[in-house]
Amino acid sequence: MRTIDDFTRPLEYLSPLDDPLGMIVREWAETWVIPHRRRFDEDWKEHRLIEPAFKRLMGELGLQRVLFPEDLGGWGLGRSNYAGTSSYRLFEEVARADSGMAVAFGVVFWPLVMICMEPHVNRQLCEEFAPIFCSTTEPRFAANAMTEPQGGADIENMEIVKGSTIQTTAVLDGDEWVINGHKLWPTNSGGVCDLFGVVCTTNPGSEDPNDFAFIFVPADTPGVTQGPPYEKAGMAADKNGDIWFENVRVPKHYRAHGPGLDLLYFKEVITFGNLGSIAFVGGSMMNVYERLYQFVSEETYRGKPLKEHDAVAGALADIARDIEIIRIVGYQYARMVDRPDLYGPRWSEEMVAKGRAYKYWACDRAVEDVGRAMNIMSLYGADRDWDVEKHWRDLKIVQLWMGGKQLCQAEVARWFFDCRTL
Amino acid sequence: MGNSYSFPFLCEWATEMDLSLAENLREWAENEVMARRLELKEDYEGLLEPAIRKLFLEIGLQRLFWPEEYGGDGHNLPSAAVTATAALEQVARGDVGIAFLLSCLLALQSAVAMEGEVKEEICSALQEIITSKDDPALVSLVLPLYRDEPQATARAAKGGWTVEAASARPLACGASASFFGVLCALEGSEDGVGLLVLPGGTKGLKRGEAIKRTGLAVDRHAEVTLEKVKVSEGMCAARGPEACRAFLAWLYMGISASNVGALFASYEILREWGDNRVIKGRGNIFKENPLTASVMAEVAQDTALSRMLTWNLARMLSEPGVYGPAGAEDNYVTALMVAHHVSQAAERAINRSMEMMASAGYAKEWNLERYWRDVKTMQLCLGPYELAKMDVSRFFYHASGL
Repeated sequence: MRTIDDFTRPLEYLSPLDDPLGMIVREWAETWVIPHRRRFDEDWKEHRLIEPAFKRLMGELGLQRVLFPEDLGGWGLGRSNYAGTSSYRLFEEVARADSGMAVAFGVVFWPLVMICMEPHVNRQLCEEFAPIFCSTTEPRFAANAMTEPQGGADIENMEIVKGSTIQTTAVLDGDEWVINGHKLWPTNSGGVCDLFGVVCTTNPGSEDPNDFAFIFVPADTPGVTQGPPYEKAGMAADKNGDIWFENVRVPKHYRAHGPGLDLLYFKEVITFGNLGSIAFVGGSMMNVYERLYQFVSEETYRGKPLKEHDAVAGALADIARDIEIIRIVGYQYARMVDRPDLYGPRWSEEMVAKGRAYKYWACDRAVEDVGRAMNIMSLYGADRDWDVEKHWRDLKIVQLWMGGKQLCQAEVARWFFDCRTL
Repeated sequence: MGNSYSFPFLCEWATEMDLSLAENLREWAENEVMARRLELKEDYEGLLEPAIRKLFLEIGLQRLFWPEEYGGDGHNLPSAAVTATAALEQVARGDVGIAFLLSCLLALQSAVAMEGEVKEEICSALQEIITSKDDPALVSLVLPLYRDEPQATARAAKGGWTVEAASARPLACGASASFFGVLCALEGSEDGVGLLVLPGGTKGLKRGEAIKRTGLAVDRHAEVTLEKVKVSEGMCAARGPEACRAFLAWLYMGISASNVGALFASYEILREWGDNRVIKGRGNIFKENPLTASVMAEVAQDTALSRMLTWNLARMLSEPGVYGPAGAEDNYVTALMVAHHVSQAAERAINRSMEMMASAGYAKEWNLERYWRDVKTMQLCLGPYELAKMDVSRFFYHASGL
């Protein structure tokens, strides 16, 4: 019998953590998530069922520490040459159980990429923030506060708007930044965040890269208000909400790197966002395969298993093909992330554009394929008990976030066709 | 300024009564559902149950197509297909689930209450349910999950049938139906298949546990088991392939019209977004950007063409003198194709509308996502597309082995 492990992995460049971490997370998923996930939708606000699974994964197993240097209690992944491939497998395994949990878990590292990754480790900030994540067995969450009212994720369209639409301001007052603004939708907001990375401007309306600022703000800083979580179509494990920053004061050195460099390395955040998105999609698709395999083997039509009907088999083949390709593409991008010596800096326009291409392709395929899987399952496709519909609802937002498909298209066309005005 | 009226349909096919009804139902949708859903979301007791009671009982849609001699309003001619389409579009604009339940009811009524073909025993048995002032008439249809394999079997017994089905999955309302329409394999009968009507309290009919599913929140979904259920001969609403196909063609028309209503609602939500959202910095309105405008065009195109197809199907069913009986194989295949095409168009268009609205399209606050879940759930009631295509190929290519 085939299993998800028969989908191809690039054996010659797997990280040394791929198998051990993959198995640890799979066991966690089977114990802490899969038996309970059908009740997660009703748990979107309280997280009574979801929280213990996070605690086990992030706090007790310690996976929230992986990016920090070893001497600060971390696992040193940020200084390794396999952060991409390791995180791809991690996110894939978590997403197989619940992509909302994978997103919440993955986004813990998103702002930390700015300060924990070689070659731009900010040692001072690592030392300051490592205890939040490394000195506890409780789950701790970080969030990137980027999206704003009116323009949404338009601020990520850096090549065109160049930060000019950012309305959250950071003003230097002595040795402190004073931050004011309103952000929407960050994963791990909605009341759970411990540390924000906040995208700000030091000069509203400016297109000067030096005026783009990425500033860390502990969530308990006076003036920070997190609104309640939004109610969504799915992704109950990922809380999103409004955040208001009202005269929030943080030390001057909480700015990640300073003028010019903040914007430069922020593009690496986008690269990791694309990589994570592919892994979330791929992991979910793995479980869709598992559930669909069971369904089409058990259900019969004209005296044979559904999968033995030629027309159905054609559709099943398309779904398996796409899962196979998504995994290969995802691992390849992870490898490109791990080897900047071969493929260029992770923050380069090329890496961002290629990541956008892979991400929106994978998302498009996944949304269509999971919809087809539901269709093959007839009325059962909409059942909570078959899990596929949950993946269908959950995955949709992966396609929508980070500026959605159209921003992906713009960046891909811009890079591959040298477009100047998109 | 565009609204859902902008999407063309051949208005010459609709009567003044059809258009007036549609206008009234538009108001029902806005007052009873859309004005309250931001606060109540998909709350059954607070929003959906009062809305369906108003629609089915006070406005009286459950009586509209019922014969006058059995207490209905007597609009029980084939032309009711057009009336139903005009009505269902507006109902689904408010709530797809309610439109779907109405589609199921109208399809069954088409089989039992059509003038000249009234099934007297069934109409007598259902009269109290359909003319009730207190409870909406909810029908649960148990149809094949996979193309031509009924979930239930009926064996000829003295003056009737004994029906069996183990954990059958109805389209909707397994837990709450007032009566059931069960498409059965008729054992030992040359007719092969038949649609039997069972009142909700029939002995041997057991309802399963409530089932959670993706959308259609108004539906109280559950499996149904039929253990040696006795049904009299007169409770057969449709007997033989052609009669059953006619019933299904009406159901497919209803599902298509409900999808069109969902497309209207999605279009309106997207239009509001496109009018106000900024892209690429200050002053650039979303709808004026060529990249997003091209996607919005496809959404409008899917909506317009789905409406045209659905109205054409309704016209064909309303004019058997011109197009032949509803259950003729060509009409059935047309209905099947239109239903799948429109259903896929609705899924695609709402998917793309969500892409346009990014995370807002995913938030319950903007309401778009509920149409996305509802049309997908309703699509699954058509059964697997891969198997439906066999009927299309069988007809168009004379592939008799399929």
